Amino acid sequence: MRKPPSRRNRFYQALLRILPSDFRSDFGGDMEQTFDDQAADVEQREGRMGVLKLWLDTISGVFRIAPAEHWQMLRQDTRYALRMMRKNLGYTAVALLTLALGVGVNTAIFSVIHSTLLRPLPYVHSDQLVILRQQALRAGITDLTYSVAEVNDYRQQNHTFSGVVEYHHMQFTLFGRDEAERVQTGVVSANFFDLFGVRPILGRTFLPADEQPGAPPVLLLSNEYWRRSRHSDPDIIGKTFEMNDKVHTVVGVLPPVPQYPDENDVYMTTSACPFRSDPRFIANRGNRMMRVFGRLKPGVTPKQADADVAAIAGRLQQEYPKNYPADAGYNAVAVPLQQELTRQARPTFLVLLAAAGFVLLIACANVANFSLARVAQRERELLVRSALGAGRGRLLRQLLTESVLMGVMAGALGLLLASGSLRLLAEFAMRLTSRAREISLDGPVLLFALAAAVITSMVSGSVLAFSPRERVAAGLKEWNAQSSIAGRRKRVRNALIVLQVAFSFVLLIGAGLTVRSLVKLQNVDPGFTPERVLTMGINLNWSKYNTPENRRAAGRRILEQVQSLPGVLSAAVSSSFPLDPDNVAMYNSMGPMPQDFRVEGAPLRQGEVPPLGDVRVCSPDYFKTLGIPVLMGRAFAPTDNADALRVAVVNQSLARHRFDGRPVGKRISFDEGKNWTTIVGVVGDTREFGLNRQPDDEIYLPIEQNPAVGSLVVRTLAEPAMLANLVRRAIWNFDSQTALTNVETLEQARSDTLKSPRLTANLLGLFGILALVIAATGIGGILALSVSQRVHEIGIRLALGARPADVSRMVIGHGMLLVLAGLALGAAGAVAITPPLRALLFGVAPTDPWTFGGAFLVLALTALIACSIPARRATRIDPLVALRHE
Amino acid sequence: MNGNKGVDAHLPLTPALFHVLLALADGDKHGYAILKDVALRTAGEVKLSTGTLYGIIKRLLNEGMIQESRRRPVAEQGDRRRIYYRLTPLGLQVAAAEAARHEKVVALARLKKVLRSPGIA
Repeated sequence: MRKPPSRRNRFYQALLRILPSDFRSDFGGDMEQTFDDQAADVEQREGRMGVLKLWLDTISGVFRIAPAEHWQMLRQDTRYALRMMRKNLGYTAVALLTLALGVGVNTAIFSVIHSTLLRPLPYVHSDQLVILRQQALRAGITDLTYSVAEVNDYRQQNHTFSGVVEYHHMQFTLFGRDEAERVQTGVVSANFFDLFGVRPILGRTFLPADEQPGAPPVLLLSNEYWRRSRHSDPDIIGKTFEMNDKVHTVVGVLPPVPQYPDENDVYMTTSACPFRSDPRFIANRGNRMMRVFGRLKPGVTPKQADADVAAIAGRLQQEYPKNYPADAGYNAVAVPLQQELTRQARPTFLVLLAAAGFVLLIACANVANFSLARVAQRERELLVRSALGAGRGRLLRQLLTESVLMGVMAGALGLLLASGSLRLLAEFAMRLTSRAREISLDGPVLLFALAAAVITSMVSGSVLAFSPRERVAAGLKEWNAQSSIAGRRKRVRNALIVLQVAFSFVLLIGAGLTVRSLVKLQNVDPGFTPERVLTMGINLNWSKYNTPENRRAAGRRILEQVQSLPGVLSAAVSSSFPLDPDNVAMYNSMGPMPQDFRVEGAPLRQGEVPPLGDVRVCSPDYFKTLGIPVLMGRAFAPTDNADALRVAVVNQSLARHRFDGRPVGKRISFDEGKNWTTIVGVVGDTREFGLNRQPDDEIYLPIEQNPAVGSLVVRTLAEPAMLANLVRRAIWNFDSQTALTNVETLEQARSDTLKSPRLTANLLGLFGILALVIAATGIGGILALSVSQRVHEIGIRLALGARPADVSRMVIGHGMLLVLAGLALGAAGAVAITPPLRALLFGVAPTDPWTFGGAFLVLALTALIACSIPARRATRIDPLVALRHE
Repeated sequence: MNGNKGVDAHLPLTPALFHVLLALADGDKHGYAILKDVALRTAGEVKLSTGTLYGIIKRLLNEGMIQESRRRPVAEQGDRRRIYYRLTPLGLQVAAAEAARHEKVVALARLKKVLRSPGIA
């Protein structure tokens, strides 16, 4: 007779739950009985202590056998799952590929996000590191660089930082080997590396004595430069190089850490930089070029630091009203370094992550749908197994094993896809954040891939897992009881299709928007003619060309050499040129650096921000060479030399902003009225810093009056790249110590500025196409299944006189109804979620009707094709064969 | 006994497994009876918990060394939860082979004078 289970039995039953369900169903009852006997016996003979000991032995015994039993079960389930996969090779391949694609794109994007946005900076207590940013918001400047006086003020007046350091970036020419070498140089405070917590791998970092005025110049080499250019010379310490006419001694080599804010070859202290140490530069509070970093004292929050620097900014403004005009809205903030370094990248990365997430969702829905479709097939197998005594838990476990196995395989495949695409992605990310160098597939990323794959697979497999529960409950005999389940299943399938279409639609719209934005960017009139122009940066050994006279002579000599080359139509020397890579990089890291000037007869009001303009120096043929139109007055002439009247040319924007469009003959001054420069012409606007930026106000000055040699532009008769070597040789002919950088055509420079939007568009486009393909196979597959399940019904319709066109319309109608529902849902979703895209778009609204319409057409047509294939099969059904089916 | 590949594949047995086989050698028993028998014969040296016992039973069933018995003593006819286990011919052979293996070891120990007095078995 069976008694109700005692507390002891209940506890024992609970203990047995850690064993596999199979084991329990085979032996559970028997074990319980045995334990019952044993416990009763022990209690009688040994009392309570005996029972306690029995429990301990029993618990440890069950725990000892559990792992082996589970392992055995797992092996059995895995073997079975593999057999099932082999048996349904087509389904397995489609599901595996779909999941792997979804997991692959997500893993790749996640690795980028993890390495740049999530992982802390590779410095000691990196959360304490902030960048101090000066702003003049009402003058439109969000990132003002610092002057020496300002660096000192913030360093001395703050209460929240344990250290404040400055940084600026320079390019110098380094002599020491056979050829002059251009080196990226970081100029830093002595305690810069201490503040970041970076220890050298050789030698030492800087000491306070190294930064004293007049101290012997010393250099730190970056790890990369030391390996690349010095072949990891272990005896590098103490070696000397000539730079800026002085002997510099190497004192240390940095470890291979990512460098912020720029990747530099060498570092020097502020006293070694000829510009930074110039007393005239130091004396002028308005001469700004540095960036400032700080480390928070322990326990200080970024918010407190923010308030601290804002207070300092307020004091400066009161103390030096001339330097901080009231109208400028001068202020200072402390921004966590990690946030600052990824500011530009964040919106793009998050959009890409969202898009990748959509791809995964669509993949997931697709696999779920196919799993559901397979239920009919699997059901018979599962029923047979349950009839043979497999419990519900056992079947669930089997299905779960299949899902997890599928997930692990898809994860591995996805990881392979991700690692293949990572280099490309890292290169892309490099344009957005200097952290891109750290992008790698590490532990958390592997975990992410695996989790994404297994969870996705389990979610899509679970629709199958929940199905047999109902079936088993319904029992074997009542086939008719299934119809309600079949109906519910059909509704789930339809809903999944609608969701797939909706997500695909949103993705396609996103892709369409970025593509349209890219096309708009490509069609922007840059204001110059980029075809057949060769450009390069010219870096004279400036310590040799240290007077206006010899710089003027150098500019002339270079022009003479180049102009005499065959195939050169015209050439000009200038300080920079539109979309100059050096200039664009500088702009991206430092922001605009316009110069202020005064207009004759227009004195500044108290507190008014002076007019600002980007100043460019060029030789007479600059406008002709670049195809910049002269709209009013004249361009420079050779007669605009040092002895002549000082003249300037301005662009259209400046003419409009400051002179109501009539500037010719008016005068401006860069030194508050001591010297005046007469405007002699107006030229067209050009996009200087990027095609997506509105033209800035530009002032051009003749090189003869303001000697500065920074770049060379050459218009050629034939393909400009062919002339590159000739030009290079001509310049080295003049002075072999001249370093040339970025020798490329203006077309290339233009195309380079489009790299990042192009890649965003390509990636989103790729995601969109993936989504489209996955969704199309989903729709087509599900319709095909529904047709095959309705063969009988369609046969009857045909037999009763329905025309093939009616049948085809019925099938397509069923599919397209779902598609239209999905499109409606997707359109609503897109309107709701595309606004964050605005930051990435140029000249296109996030709700651009053309894009919506285009995406609608593409998706609807693709779906129509996907529907028409099963529809055609339906029309070919032979009524006789169909009716014999039953 | 020797030379039987099917039997040899099961050897050597763990002490606990061997004792379960021995417990069933003199008649069908249910789980608790096996536990008691083993504890009694080994004077408490080999102690089985229910978990380890049923782990062993599962293995012995899978390998065909024991089977569930349909006959049960008249006194316990009513208790349907108790399952009786019986040694199969294979089980018997394996137990005998394991015993022979032990015997050889014991003989060797005597020869080497590691073991002096007879009468361990």
